[in-house]
Amino acid sequence: MTARCARHELNALDRALLIAARELAAERRHPDGLVAALTFTGLLVLMESLAFGPGQARQPGVASALFWIAILFAATLVASRSFDRELEDDAIDAVLVVDGGREALYAGKLVAIAIVLAIVALAAAVLSLVLLDLDVALPGHLVLIGALGILALPPVIVLTTLLALRVRARVALVPILSFPILTPQLVACTQGAAAALTGDASAALGWAGIVAAFALVYGVLGLTIVPAAIE
Amino acid sequence: MIETTAAPFPTVRVRPWLGRLAIAGSLIATFMALVWAPTDAVQGDVYRIIYVHVPLAWLAYLAFFVVFLASLGWLWTKRPWFDALAVASAEVGVLFTGMFIVAGSIWAKPTWGVWWTWDPRLVTTAVMFMMYVGYLLLRSLSTDFSRRATRAAVLGVIAVIDIPIVHLSVLWMNSLHQLPTVLRAGGSPALDAAMGMTLGICVVAFTLVYFAFLAERMSIELDRQRRMFEARA
Repeated sequence: MTARCARHELNALDRALLIAARELAAERRHPDGLVAALTFTGLLVLMESLAFGPGQARQPGVASALFWIAILFAATLVASRSFDRELEDDAIDAVLVVDGGREALYAGKLVAIAIVLAIVALAAAVLSLVLLDLDVALPGHLVLIGALGILALPPVIVLTTLLALRVRARVALVPILSFPILTPQLVACTQGAAAALTGDASAALGWAGIVAAFALVYGVLGLTIVPAAIE
Repeated sequence: MIETTAAPFPTVRVRPWLGRLAIAGSLIATFMALVWAPTDAVQGDVYRIIYVHVPLAWLAYLAFFVVFLASLGWLWTKRPWFDALAVASAEVGVLFTGMFIVAGSIWAKPTWGVWWTWDPRLVTTAVMFMMYVGYLLLRSLSTDFSRRATRAAVLGVIAVIDIPIVHLSVLWMNSLHQLPTVLRAGGSPALDAAMGMTLGICVVAFTLVYFAFLAERMSIELDRQRRMFEARA
């Protein structure tokens, strides 16, 4: 990447997309992060539904909460695996020496993790809809909430993973740091998805707006602060 | 590059005075809260816990806002003084937030009939508490001084977004918790004058306690930093 940057003047977007493409190529070659997240999410949906019992788990609010909690855990898993790869052979250092590499690393990871998460969310959604036999009143609204939720989670999770990089107990620290910050997003995604399942269009759009606002705020904040976060 | 010179502001020897003022203020506030302030017509004497609960809530916000400012200070200047301020304020803030939750819980039992309810204000406050416990955990798990300070500062900047969420949660969502009584938008405090004055004195007294604790904790941290820089040299 450094050589390519030296040959061509890449703008910030190109650099971010290059990082994202590299990340996705690594994931395609060794899809351990994706497979782990898919397995984990499926297992979580199954276990939670079993623990609640089919009657309760079918309720829109409960089904939405189960889904988004599973996606939240999957996001931390995907981000953690992604940065594990960066730390192997100190690959991250090569990115950081490039001019604008920190912002590119952050933005590229956001894009790549959002794409991987979209695959995981799609699989988890199909699993939930089929196993729990859910009726979706507003499919378009549900897809909108899902897409925004997938964009809203990575900015915080990538940032906290960067903060916990090379820190002892990183696996435990990332959820401890990111989950409290992600509480409003989790609530908004859950409520929005429940509203889409029950057919309350205005509530679904309202919650979608909140998710979009949080995605934007933390995305911009992350891009602004990330050069300071990585030493 | 870490700036290892002294504090960015002129040093004023206020520490001993802060402690004395905090003790005096606390004694006056205790008298006013338990004796001078009238009994509430509806809640009886149970309401008096607001003289602890409200100042603790204010200090939780203040402490974490100071963490935010100190974090910006560290990121901007790399002066260790700001990091000492951030850790001191975060620790005192976590202590006060914990006490804030416990005091609210003690008031909730006779008033609402439960120690805890899934109310937006309560939950967002508990989340804020966990957030700053995570902040302290991040600090304790990082070994290198500069990295620890930078990582904590970034988190201190991000976490401040939770403060308005906690405060405004009672307006945004259906809440069992009462709406703001003192800091109300477009209105005077909905409180009896004697109760309002007592609450004001309690807020001042608790704020003095906060600054006294902050000064003591900062002194410990600055001493620790001095020893670390000396050992490095």
